[in-house]
Amino acid sequence: MSGQTGVPRTRYFSKEPRESLLIRFSLAVRKYWFIYLLAIPGFLFLAVFSYAPMYGVVLAFKDFKMNLGVMGSPWVGLTHYQELFADPAFIQAFKNTVIINIYNLIFGFTFNVFLALMINELQMKRLKSVVQTCVYLPYFLSWVIFAGLVQVFLQAPVPGDVGGVVNQVIQSMGGQPIDFMKQPGMFRGILVITNIIKTAGYSTIIYLAAVAGVDPALYEAAAIDGANRRDMLFHITIPRILPSVAVMFLLSISQLFLSNFDQVYNLYNNFVLNTGDVLSTYIYRISLGGGGEFELSTAANLLLNVMGLIALVVTNRFVKKLDVMGIF
Amino acid sequence: MVKDASNVKQPRKTMQQAVGFNFYDVFVVGFCVIFAAICFYPMWYVLVASVTPYEQFVKGGALLWPNGGVDFQYYKMIFENSSFVTSLWISASKTVLGTLLSVLVTSTMAYAVSKVHVPGMKLLNVLTVFTMFFAGGLIPTYLLYIDLKLIRTYWVMVLPYGLSITYFIIMRNYFSYSVPRELEDAARIDGCNDVRVFFQVILPLSKPMLAAVGLFIAVGFWNDYYSYMMYIATKPTLQPFAWVLRRVLTDSAMMSQMRTGAVDIGAQLPPPMALRMATIICAMVPIMCVYPFLQKHFAKGVLIGAVKE
Repeated sequence: MSGQTGVPRTRYFSKEPRESLLIRFSLAVRKYWFIYLLAIPGFLFLAVFSYAPMYGVVLAFKDFKMNLGVMGSPWVGLTHYQELFADPAFIQAFKNTVIINIYNLIFGFTFNVFLALMINELQMKRLKSVVQTCVYLPYFLSWVIFAGLVQVFLQAPVPGDVGGVVNQVIQSMGGQPIDFMKQPGMFRGILVITNIIKTAGYSTIIYLAAVAGVDPALYEAAAIDGANRRDMLFHITIPRILPSVAVMFLLSISQLFLSNFDQVYNLYNNFVLNTGDVLSTYIYRISLGGGGEFELSTAANLLLNVMGLIALVVTNRFVKKLDVMGIF
Repeated sequence: MVKDASNVKQPRKTMQQAVGFNFYDVFVVGFCVIFAAICFYPMWYVLVASVTPYEQFVKGGALLWPNGGVDFQYYKMIFENSSFVTSLWISASKTVLGTLLSVLVTSTMAYAVSKVHVPGMKLLNVLTVFTMFFAGGLIPTYLLYIDLKLIRTYWVMVLPYGLSITYFIIMRNYFSYSVPRELEDAARIDGCNDVRVFFQVILPLSKPMLAAVGLFIAVGFWNDYYSYMMYIATKPTLQPFAWVLRRVLTDSAMMSQMRTGAVDIGAQLPPPMALRMATIICAMVPIMCVYPFLQKHFAKGVLIGAVKE
């Protein structure tokens, strides 16, 4: 927030007092009226749909009564948080969220960087564009569709219906069919793998853009000096994308407590609740999803938001040092 | 880096010279092709299975190519079901309306905020981006929509998405970095004011970007079922297609109603799997139609305005 708009800074040593905020603002409006006009619709949407709901977070500390409204309901202090931490389902959802995110970081993140390098190494233009077309595609399908594909693929055979491809293959090799979607031990693995297939292509974009910025003269010089393609990969390409990799890594860490509602909600079922329930599905399940625990859900959501914000601020410090990209 | 490479004085005898092909290349190509196939094959399989006749399908003969001819019976079933047709209309109309609204609101605000010299815009920027990380949450939003009389109406699927924060950031960066400042300055020297600069310089220059972002937003609206599930939930006349798809995939009651409703009594019931696949294909078709355009902008990196040059 700049000094232009914040609280006017009084300079004790300045000779002329600065004009008041109001006067400066009205002068600016006269000068830039059109710019302000353009900002108004967006500002209204922001105020109504993003900021207005925020007052509702006080529900986390209240005993909500529909007839009294959010403001009229009595305060109850931290009762809901005591309740929350005593709920084994919440603790489990919290653990699952962190564990799944760490898996995604270890396997998904590494895979994305590797895929970007491999696509970059493809020499045939035609093949490269075909590969890119295929790997970007799943990103544009919704999780509903994608989860549908996954379920159709992994389905166990039932009377009157053949199973999915995977089980057909297992059976043709003489194995016993497996009902993948109902195995608690496999669910996190399924989440990580489906996430890789759906988003790996998308995440290569940023690395490929970083590689595209490399001066071709570097590669030419290296070739003249007798470097082969593997040498160039390790000595030119990888050092060049490292800053982007570092930033993406930090951003992923900052999302340690976030969970993908869309993915989990469309894939999970009661059989895998123990290993698959994450914070966002928990928040839905205990409130609108049938639980009716409005205050508890708001309390969990607020806690999640605050932790996410702390994680973001901490990691953003490191990102700023790298100075590669900023969203603010 | 160049120095490292220059230590290698003699060109090495590569695999290529030794055995006629390069294992490195084989690995690279193999890896990429296999992963591309993993991404593509599920969709292909579902397409094939959805047009394979029942007898073949039960035998498991639909892995690569539709054996025994092509049969569109499942699609016929879908389009004879009235709730499908209604939901297609709902989805199409909310996609068009929502995209227009969102592009208009988001782009005008992004342009205003890209003018950082205008007092207040930096603050507005921070306020906007902040909402990406901190939101009221499900229940407060739900209660607000009750107050706004948006609950259980069509508009709850459109209005809340009027300002898209992600695309706000992308558009703002585009206006800040990718529109040449010189053109704007030149127009001002020729006597244009803010209004004419916006309509005669900025808008024509940004058309490709607006079209690209519009497509992405449209895909988002088409795929959205969340707002229906959370804020409407029980009005069949307002179901978007994405929600019907979800129900077909998960709700066995919906499935049996469709299976029995669509077939003559005494006829063989269609396998639920094949019907599911046909529904998946229906939901994918509109996205496939715009995919070439999406991919063009995507691959060019038009949308990663976040990378500083």
